[in-house]
Amino acid sequence: MKPEATDKPLIEIRNLRKRFGTIEVLKGIDLAIHRSEVLCVIGPSGSGKSTLLRSIAFLEAYDEGSVTFEDRLIGYREENGRRRRAGEREINADRSGFGMVFQHFHLWPHMSVMENVTEALRVVKALGRAEAEQIGREMLDKVGIAAHAAKYPEQLSGGQKQRVAIARALAMKPRVMLFDEPTSALDPELVGEVLAVMKQLAQEGMTMMVVTHEMGFAAHVADTVVFMDQGRIVEKGDPGATFADPKSNRLKQFLNTWRERSI
Amino acid sequence: MSFIETYTPLLLSGLWATIRICFLATLLALPLGLGVTLLLRRPGRALPALARLYVEVMRGTPILVVLFLLYYGGPSIGLVLEAEPVGILGLGLYGAGYFAEIFRAGLQSIPQGQREAARMLGIPSWRILLRIELPQMLRLVTPPVINQIIVLIKESAALSIITVAELTKIGAQIANETFAVIEPYLAVALLYWLLIELIALAGHWLERKAKHG
Repeated sequence: MKPEATDKPLIEIRNLRKRFGTIEVLKGIDLAIHRSEVLCVIGPSGSGKSTLLRSIAFLEAYDEGSVTFEDRLIGYREENGRRRRAGEREINADRSGFGMVFQHFHLWPHMSVMENVTEALRVVKALGRAEAEQIGREMLDKVGIAAHAAKYPEQLSGGQKQRVAIARALAMKPRVMLFDEPTSALDPELVGEVLAVMKQLAQEGMTMMVVTHEMGFAAHVADTVVFMDQGRIVEKGDPGATFADPKSNRLKQFLNTWRERSI
Repeated sequence: MSFIETYTPLLLSGLWATIRICFLATLLALPLGLGVTLLLRRPGRALPALARLYVEVMRGTPILVVLFLLYYGGPSIGLVLEAEPVGILGLGLYGAGYFAEIFRAGLQSIPQGQREAARMLGIPSWRILLRIELPQMLRLVTPPVINQIIVLIKESAALSIITVAELTKIGAQIANETFAVIEPYLAVALLYWLLIELIALAGHWLERKAKHG
């Protein structure tokens, strides 16, 4: 789905800056994500793309600028013109619209697949077991893992684990899904099944921000591609034009390297 | 062998005292150690520094010195206890420092991402601790905890110096009475060894059980 230019963005990022010690990893990012938009962030390692995603989710506390979700500032409270770090409950409420999927899945190994998917439903939404498991089954069905509900993560392939992680995030009915290199830790033959689930989500109208090295996915599924380098957004546009006619030398180089590698 | 006939009841009473003392000391040390570990992870500086100090002091002080301080120094701060309670307290406080380090390492070996995934789902941190971290941590630390309990059992021999009638003290007593050294201390060594083997066996059983869910 194409976002309308006049739509009010769901997520707005303004002049976002993040430092780790003396190294500035994000050097003033401005970005808007609209409802049902699929936005892919590409760029070389160390370009800050994962940090950007993690700052939006407030897994990293950004130093300057703002991230707002439906006009709500994420992670900070402004009182009398001063900004203070929000408390744990406030932060949990701020990001309740976000679902996140990690490169290394981060399933809880001591819980079954079903328990992984229903844990937050039971603890956060205080649902009973039957109700939680019904939602759990729906979500597992959606990602094609329902048959493995009773298994433990170690019994699954990487692709299956990542699909469980997606189901776990979806169970909480997020408004936006954040994907942090969701296929980078997978064996090549398992990448497709995860991308297929993500593509299906995109077609259903889920708002998605995907940090990825999968150029094919970015080219075919994304509405917008953002190219980052050294903590800045270098280029942004629809994937067709961006990949066919990169404006910056840096993106040209990046795409060339990628094309050479994929021959 | 009249030695065995004569002194078996006494030796067994010493063994029982050692078991009782070590059991109670471990019961004190495990939750206290966990508490210290959790303080280490609190935000801010004061509480983690206090917990750190506790661990360093307990690790840096011989058990005998801890016992002397409690037994002879205790009364000057109003802590008047008999030898055995002092022994349990001292051994427990001392063991807690080691358990805290074991628990800290156990928590650290759980990938940070598991916590992040839970936080992103809105799970409160105390529930993360209870449902996600502790169950995994307890499995991970079973072998080193068992090992540390064994060390505590052996360290408990120091309680003989503050007159607790535990196994080593009983051995010394028999040696004094009989002027025999080899027999009583061999008997004592054998009983320690049996006790520790039992603990080790229980540990292996726990490990196996944990592995198979």
